[in-house]
Amino acid sequence: MTDEKAGKVLEVIKEFANIGAGSAATALSSLMDVELMNEVTSCSILPMSKVSDWLGGADQIVAGTYTYLCGELKSGILIVLPKKSAVTLLEHLTKEKVDLASLTEIQKSALKEIGNICLCWYLIAVSKMIDIDMIPAPPDATVDMLGAVLDIPLASLAQKVDTVLAVHTCFKGIDEEFEGYFLMLPEESTLKLILERMAEP
Amino acid sequence: MNQPHTLGIGQMAVCHAPEQIVCLGLGSCVAIILYDPVARIGGVAHVLLPKSPIKCDNEGKYADTGTRKLVKEMLNHGAKKERLVAKLVGGAQMFPNLNLAIANIGRENSMIIRSILRELMIRIVAEDLGGNRGRSAYFNTSDGHVIIKTAFEPVKVL
Repeated sequence: MTDEKAGKVLEVIKEFANIGAGSAATALSSLMDVELMNEVTSCSILPMSKVSDWLGGADQIVAGTYTYLCGELKSGILIVLPKKSAVTLLEHLTKEKVDLASLTEIQKSALKEIGNICLCWYLIAVSKMIDIDMIPAPPDATVDMLGAVLDIPLASLAQKVDTVLAVHTCFKGIDEEFEGYFLMLPEESTLKLILERMAEP
Repeated sequence: MNQPHTLGIGQMAVCHAPEQIVCLGLGSCVAIILYDPVARIGGVAHVLLPKSPIKCDNEGKYADTGTRKLVKEMLNHGAKKERLVAKLVGGAQMFPNLNLAIANIGRENSMIIRSILRELMIRIVAEDLGGNRGRSAYFNTSDGHVIIKTAFEPVKVL
């Protein structure tokens, strides 16, 4: 890919992710009862070994919910919350004290469900835009080191490629300290499809 | 002491005492750690997938080619094959409820590495594999010890 072309690809994908993340943030803010703002999407083409560094280091502890699209479009999607935000979110929803080291079943399930709702809203928005149905696998959530959370999402791409396109959209609460981000890791064929569809008038 | 070598996915490093090699946030990935206690040479490979395709872009990314390449690199640096011992860290199942074939790739990684090490007659002296927790491995080439840190559990030494 030439630099100019790569630049265009990144622009289109950014717009795509902005719309998805906007929709997901709306869902999340009504769940959380706080106003959330989306920050600008950043997008980068990286070698596999650098993805966790790009996101701020492999050893930070985060809550990650992951699902994989298995329809016509193939892409991994993750929602990642830093430790503190995960606690805020779970305490708000379950009204009990939360210890990330030993989450109860109901807390784990809440984490998964939040991820599920956000990811679905993300997908609904983008699938409308490009008119392709997206079929996500049921998501799963874990609280662990970022590097470990990213292993499976990266492994599902790594069989074919050595560099990935990572699309990162950060969201922040306006007054409460709450933040997190969406991460999309599309396969190459999916990328092509998105570009084709987005180029249509 | 120098900065430790921090390995990302698909990378490997071989070095002499007293340097350190670190793999942060191993999930289903496995850190293959080889050590020659006499020459005090240590090497680590951070592998992601079990089997390499026929046309392989990066040997260090796969458990099968990664293990073989690491052994070769160790010998190139002056380690003796009869003295090599191995320690394995990682191979967890991070998303056990995920209904995908790839969800249990950590176990496959571990199995392939074990069988290749057996074939090369390299003894596995310690391992911390499986489960569903991520790990960070800090390998000290001075004494061959591996310190394992997890998100919430106490620190372990292999």
